[in-house]
Amino acid sequence: MSGQGTGQPSNAAPPTETMKRSRSNTPMYVALAIVVVVILVVAAGFYAGWFKGSSSTPPAPGTCAPPSGGSIKGAGSTLVYPLQYQWETVYGGGTAVNYESVGSSAGITDISTKTVEYGASDAPLNHAQVVAAPAPLLTIPESAGGVVPIYNVAGVPTLNFNGSVLVGIYMGSITNWNSTPIQTLNPGVTLPNAGIQVVERSDGSGTTFIWTSYLSQESPAWASSVGKGTTVVWPVGSGQPKNAGVAGYVQKTPDTIGYVDLNYALNGGIQFGKVLNPAGHYVLASVNNTASALKDANPTLPAGNGDWYNVSVLNAPGAGDYPITSLTYVFVYQDLSGAYGSAITLTTAETLVDYLYWMVTTGQSYSAQLYYVPLPASIVTSDETTIAQLTYDGSAVPNTCGSSV
Amino acid sequence: MKFDRSARRKLWSHTMTVLAGLCALVALIPLASVIYQAAVLGGPVLSVDFLTANPPSPCSPVVGQPPCAVGGIGSAIQGTLILVGLATAISVPIGLAAAVFAVEYRGRFLGLAISFTADVLTGVPSIIAGVFIYTYFVIYYPVIVFSALTGALALSVIMIPIVTRTCEEALRTVPHSLREAALALGIPKWRTTLQIVVVTALPAVLTGILLSVMRAAGEAAPLLFTAFGSRLGFQGFNNPINALPLLIYNFAESPYKNWISLAWGAALILIILILIASVLSRLVVNRMVRRMRGG
Amino acid sequence: MTRPTLSPGDPIVRRRPRRWGDLIFAALVGVGGIGVLVLILAIVGILVDQSAMSFRAFGWGFIIGTQWDVKNNIYGVVPALSGTLITSAIALLIGFPLAIGSAIFLTTQAPRWMRGPVGTVIEMLAAVPSVVYGFWALYVLGPYMRTSVEPALHRYLGWTGGFNGPATGTDILTAGVILAIMVIPTISAISRETLAAVPNSQKEAALSLGATNWETTRYGIVPYARSGIFGATILGLGRALGETMAVTMTIGNRDAVPTSFFSQGQTISSLIANELTNSNGPLQYSAIIEAGLILLLISLLVNVVARLLLWRVLRVSGGSTE
Repeated sequence: MSGQGTGQPSNAAPPTETMKRSRSNTPMYVALAIVVVVILVVAAGFYAGWFKGSSSTPPAPGTCAPPSGGSIKGAGSTLVYPLQYQWETVYGGGTAVNYESVGSSAGITDISTKTVEYGASDAPLNHAQVVAAPAPLLTIPESAGGVVPIYNVAGVPTLNFNGSVLVGIYMGSITNWNSTPIQTLNPGVTLPNAGIQVVERSDGSGTTFIWTSYLSQESPAWASSVGKGTTVVWPVGSGQPKNAGVAGYVQKTPDTIGYVDLNYALNGGIQFGKVLNPAGHYVLASVNNTASALKDANPTLPAGNGDWYNVSVLNAPGAGDYPITSLTYVFVYQDLSGAYGSAITLTTAETLVDYLYWMVTTGQSYSAQLYYVPLPASIVTSDETTIAQLTYDGSAVPNTCGSSV
Repeated sequence: MKFDRSARRKLWSHTMTVLAGLCALVALIPLASVIYQAAVLGGPVLSVDFLTANPPSPCSPVVGQPPCAVGGIGSAIQGTLILVGLATAISVPIGLAAAVFAVEYRGRFLGLAISFTADVLTGVPSIIAGVFIYTYFVIYYPVIVFSALTGALALSVIMIPIVTRTCEEALRTVPHSLREAALALGIPKWRTTLQIVVVTALPAVLTGILLSVMRAAGEAAPLLFTAFGSRLGFQGFNNPINALPLLIYNFAESPYKNWISLAWGAALILIILILIASVLSRLVVNRMVRRMRGG
Repeated sequence: MTRPTLSPGDPIVRRRPRRWGDLIFAALVGVGGIGVLVLILAIVGILVDQSAMSFRAFGWGFIIGTQWDVKNNIYGVVPALSGTLITSAIALLIGFPLAIGSAIFLTTQAPRWMRGPVGTVIEMLAAVPSVVYGFWALYVLGPYMRTSVEPALHRYLGWTGGFNGPATGTDILTAGVILAIMVIPTISAISRETLAAVPNSQKEAALSLGATNWETTRYGIVPYARSGIFGATILGLGRALGETMAVTMTIGNRDAVPTSFFSQGQTISSLIANELTNSNGPLQYSAIIEAGLILLLISLLVNVVARLLLWRVLRVSGGSTE
């Protein structure tokens, strides 16, 4: 190495014998103090149970005992995040489930790059994503929800919206809160003369997919110029990350309008509007009328490995149905050992399968309290058929819960 | 009364002094406001449970419903300690070695190149550190892209240059006579370096390490694509882990009241930790300077 | 002054005992040293490698492309790059005078007892994490900008065309202001160092000529420290360019070239934070990495310039004049 020989300073001053003694002990004390502090903190951590993992979670109220000690990662949809968070908390057996709400697009990216065991998205896989996936993916509807227009306008009651007004606002052709189209839908309401500040999602989002799918159905002009997708090029407005970001921003900022999942609006206490449904009624979204919309739309579901892109439960025909409703999905690899190789153990695979079963059965009972729509029995049955198709080393993954609906 | 030239100059001088003072004052307003906000909104949630419990399910109080769970930031504090601890364990040996190499074995070119590179590396945006680790692991080992390990590696990328530069400065302050004396006594160079040079410079070396730890503890950007965040506590180095800055980012923008107060509490804890570290490092430096002058 | 050195062939060096220990030690620390060099090459290397697809698709057009169109898969860096440059410029415009003013105040004007403590407190501005600033901006700065600062700017400067559009408090201007707060400690601390490094003789000479306190500072001290202050400013610029969290939380995250200071925009770092793991396909992913590469190269360039300036000033003068 060149450094070795290039030189020692050599005009040495005569060595002083007192040199060693003159060095103070301060550094030692400082080092000692830091070590003691670290030890204290770690000890306190042990005492507080930091290093015991998640064993303090209560046992699942379900009937079946999941395999213990596994750990699985999921990522994606922020629409379903509060529900997933609840599931993680109650799913028992010492199993650690880590779900991060990174956005639906990210959920699909993450499952495609195999960085997680399951991805979640409110938008089904499109053709390009199916092709890009390194191995066949199964699509499993996990829950359903409604997307609502939220707004922050001082002193107005619940506003009515319809498709063309929402398209107008998001196109930038309706720019004031008291403009005629909005006033027409809301006779007798004193709307402020204030500019509308449009808020949308900055990250790839299934909520955006649902919202733009609805706007596309309502307006051919929107369908051709902007279209539907998890990310679109918005004509106007500012972006906020995640459902929480949009909800939080609208809550804090006057004269804004945005779109979030129903549960974010209800949990955040944010005012949201009624939307005109195909039967001609203005409907304020609730768990009940999104559930009935799901039932009335009665979609024919493809097989788990089929093409889901055109599955839609928007604009259900019932008189009381909320029009902007959607299923939300998780994606898993059909052949787990084939997809992850040695990186996934049989235990992890079993845990994953068990969790999926638990999610579509017992897990559904947590939906309503968080304002999600429980899956109807027909979809649960089709989900169970799909989950049974998961394989590890060529054979179906055994599970302890089975079809215990 | 008429101003003569000299009085005008004096007045001008005083005006500028006041203006400069105002600049200093204005510069301090944001800090005061940040600390005030964090104390007012984060202070009330602090408790022992707050420091140990895991984050709760999202909730905003609704009239007629049971009150929201408060929860705590235990998993985030634990995660930050583990991430920063591991990152320190990775970056201190490398950074210190690089500093020793640059100072004690300085070739005319290589030593200079190393300290210059380290200097420039301190300017690498922290998000690029995250991108760097993320892209490597996506290609070569996707299963642990989101894990404590990658989080710590991303933080190390930020810490290594800081440790290198500060340790280098520290080692340079050790008088040459000390090294020469030791060598003349027949002590081998490696023992001279470790037991005399490094030990003499230890306070400054520790300060440098502390500085890098402070910086890493507050970083969220490199953890976005690596540590990933988790509600739970530590689950092994190959699994996602929470961290204080990540928790603040994730909860700050949410509409849930209990998450927002948790985020303010976490911000307060983070500010307190970092201010303590900052004061500590300053004390050590002052003490060292006094000792150097005294000796 | 240079010291006479020994070459490896000199008898004294050869006689040194226990050479193996030294060799191993040298090798070990050498690995660390080379590690630092390898690190930067690895970072640049992987970014270049991963941006290849985008570079093949768009070539140099990426640098002048004004579209970031996810629907049609056309990507150009101008929306994010312009956001980065404009917010950094705002940061310097606001932060520079404040930082230099406080540095001058603390080194030359303030009473001696005030210098240490106030200086420490200003440097603590640097210790507050970026994400905490962002959080604070969401609740304090943003609403203040929306309700007070931006309407006033619109009223008095609206005619320039740069302050039009709805005042939202979530825009390029707010991001620039939060960056200004974050660059102040960097610029101020290093400027103080260079100002303190000016030899006392300069000050005494000016005072003995009958200069006032301010004239001494203005004509005797500041010119002497000019290149150091410049270096400090460039270093502050470097910090502003790469800052992520606070900007992501305040800028509005919109992939379009800003048309006003009230426009929502995107910086390269907020683009990465928002879209890297969110990309709709490999081309977008690659384009994001290419944008990151451009950010890295700009930051490296800025840092090299700053360091070269500062090395000259601080290394030469030694800095112990107080």
